Amino acid sequence: MAYPTALLDVIGLWTAWLMMMLSYSYPLWKENHGFRFAEFTFVSTMLAINLIVAISNVMRVAITPMTKGEWSYIIPIVLGFAMYTMLFSRYRWISRYPVAILVGIGFGLGMRGVLIPSVLTQVIATITPPKVGDPMSWLNFAYIAIGTICSVMYFLLTYEHKGVLRYPTRLGRWIIMIGLGAYFGNTILFRFSMLAGRAQFFLQVLKIIPL
Amino acid sequence: MTKQETILDKMQKIDRRILYWVLFIGLMIPFVSPLGLPVAVTPSTVDLYKELTKVKTGEVIIINLAFGVSAWSECLPATVASTKLLFKQGAKIIFLGVHYDVDLTWAKIKDQVPAFKTLTYGKNYVYLGFYTGGEATVARLATSIRTVFPTDADKKSLDEIEMMKNVNVAKDIKLVLSSDTGDWCDYYIRQWRVPYGTPVGEIGIAMLGSSYMPHYQAGILFGMTVGVRGGAELEKLIGELGEATVTMDSINISHVMAIVAIGLANLGYAATVKRGGK
Amino acid sequence: MSTLLKREVVYLITGVVAVTMFIDFFFFPKGWDVASTLQTWAMIIGNIALGLGAVRLLLFYGKQVQKRTVGVWHYSVWLIVYFFICLITGLAGYITLGHQDKNPIYYWNFTNVYTPLGQALYAMTGFYIFSAAYRAFRARNIDAALLLIAGCFTLLTNAPIGEVIWVQIPVIGRWFLDIGQVPGMRTFMIAGAFGLLAYGFRALLGKEKGFYAEVGGQ
Repeated sequence: MAYPTALLDVIGLWTAWLMMMLSYSYPLWKENHGFRFAEFTFVSTMLAINLIVAISNVMRVAITPMTKGEWSYIIPIVLGFAMYTMLFSRYRWISRYPVAILVGIGFGLGMRGVLIPSVLTQVIATITPPKVGDPMSWLNFAYIAIGTICSVMYFLLTYEHKGVLRYPTRLGRWIIMIGLGAYFGNTILFRFSMLAGRAQFFLQVLKIIPL
Repeated sequence: MTKQETILDKMQKIDRRILYWVLFIGLMIPFVSPLGLPVAVTPSTVDLYKELTKVKTGEVIIINLAFGVSAWSECLPATVASTKLLFKQGAKIIFLGVHYDVDLTWAKIKDQVPAFKTLTYGKNYVYLGFYTGGEATVARLATSIRTVFPTDADKKSLDEIEMMKNVNVAKDIKLVLSSDTGDWCDYYIRQWRVPYGTPVGEIGIAMLGSSYMPHYQAGILFGMTVGVRGGAELEKLIGELGEATVTMDSINISHVMAIVAIGLANLGYAATVKRGGK
Repeated sequence: MSTLLKREVVYLITGVVAVTMFIDFFFFPKGWDVASTLQTWAMIIGNIALGLGAVRLLLFYGKQVQKRTVGVWHYSVWLIVYFFICLITGLAGYITLGHQDKNPIYYWNFTNVYTPLGQALYAMTGFYIFSAAYRAFRARNIDAALLLIAGCFTLLTNAPIGEVIWVQIPVIGRWFLDIGQVPGMRTFMIAGAFGLLAYGFRALLGKEKGFYAEVGGQ
């Protein structure tokens, strides 16, 4: 993408740069009016975009099909708008009905779908020995099998971890820490890559590197 | 009697703004003066790539754009690389997304994949737009795409779109590629993979590389890329280096800085403990 | 009657809807119309409810203006004014041109104000994690040491420079990423699944009132 030449595009690019620098004025300098302005501007645009997308999607998914013959959609449309009674304390109880449907479906779908991939398959994968015979594969299998059992013991057993439980649960805790350490490393990659994108944009607008 | 502060003590008390500036400037340097270190490819990315190369001409793929503009640096490069590869395979792609800025993401993908200039909308690819409703919508999508998307993003009926004529349920879809920052891959696993056997692949942020590793190891996911590094690996595999590869240089410097920071913190802590402090 | 409508019927609906999903999954491999209809309803309700958060926040900031909350109300005025500018331009684009992005003012605002702000604000956490790494990540005991060792190897494996520092770093780091973290992550997954099942059963039986407490005010 080449550096824009049209005036409005150049103004837009520098506005974007300014918005970014106003946001970073807080961590890089101190709390200031510029940062607050940027923060509230973001919230206001986010709310507007949210509302517009909600309206356009409701039209596309519900209202338009209803006017084209799907008259049964009137029920969920009424229930959907009933959610807004949440804003009025006297009629708030009406919004429990659409929430009940959403909660029921959420739990129904989640519960029916979670057993196979998150429990059964994981247990099978844990206890299935490797097909390849090399020592490292067997060591890894032993680590995963013993590690998972001990970690699950640490996590799920609610009575005091003493006596015969003391050592497996301690081992489980250590293995969980290893998992969290890897998660932490990945978290840093995620956060730094987002920030690297912003550093790149900073240089691109100043024409130090190409856009 | 006051203790004399050592240099380590002073470093513990350094103003955090100095740290932030050091990081911000450190992230910029590699863009000006690239290191160009090669990126080794991980098994999960290789498996994703291999599965995508098995896609035959005419098969329909769903790419779920479950990331917003804030996660472009993490998810966009791998999504772009996958799209390029799938178009080379002759696949037909359905794009849909769950963030309200998905239109911007779609525009960015179109901008970065040259194949869009030669391919025909409606014949080779279709953009259905934004959808919401969580797992219920994903479940409904598996049994009727037309209920969730009566029209595409430009309000054209799906019945009028050539590639959507015989496509309406999960069984019509060859595989799903979920590019996400949160739970959407889980929804596709629970509502597509488990009931209908539709293969699911993940292009996610780095943290999901940890969360979904058990799924990948257990064979639930056919492959996954991990953050911007996964994007760089996929770019290397398809032979077209792009934004992720450029960003990896910056990641190199920032990660070394993080290690130095952790090392200094622990050095200071060790010195404090040695002196009898806490 | 009032309690029946406000509580019992609500819990009954939750339970019946959830059981419908189970029946659909276990007894209707090709799909059950009743379950599909309920899923469609949930999708539509979810779409309509999307605007609820925006409306609530607007009312909140409106109250700040009304109360003249010190340090906030000026910005709240700006928020509401700019919100209406964006909303009107977006709706004008949607109604007259078919899509909100076709209005040039809305689109300019979307690409040059919302997008960079969103990217910048989310990326700010990178600063904080760096200062946290400097100040807080200390190996005080074995647990913390294990976390840090795994974390450091992961960091240097994710960055190609790790191999330049020491050839074995990616080998060890790959082990942490492909094998080392699996038991821990698998445990979270299994425990999370059991938690969902337990929580779900409580919700089905009407024991879980948390969803409705705020909604009903009780």
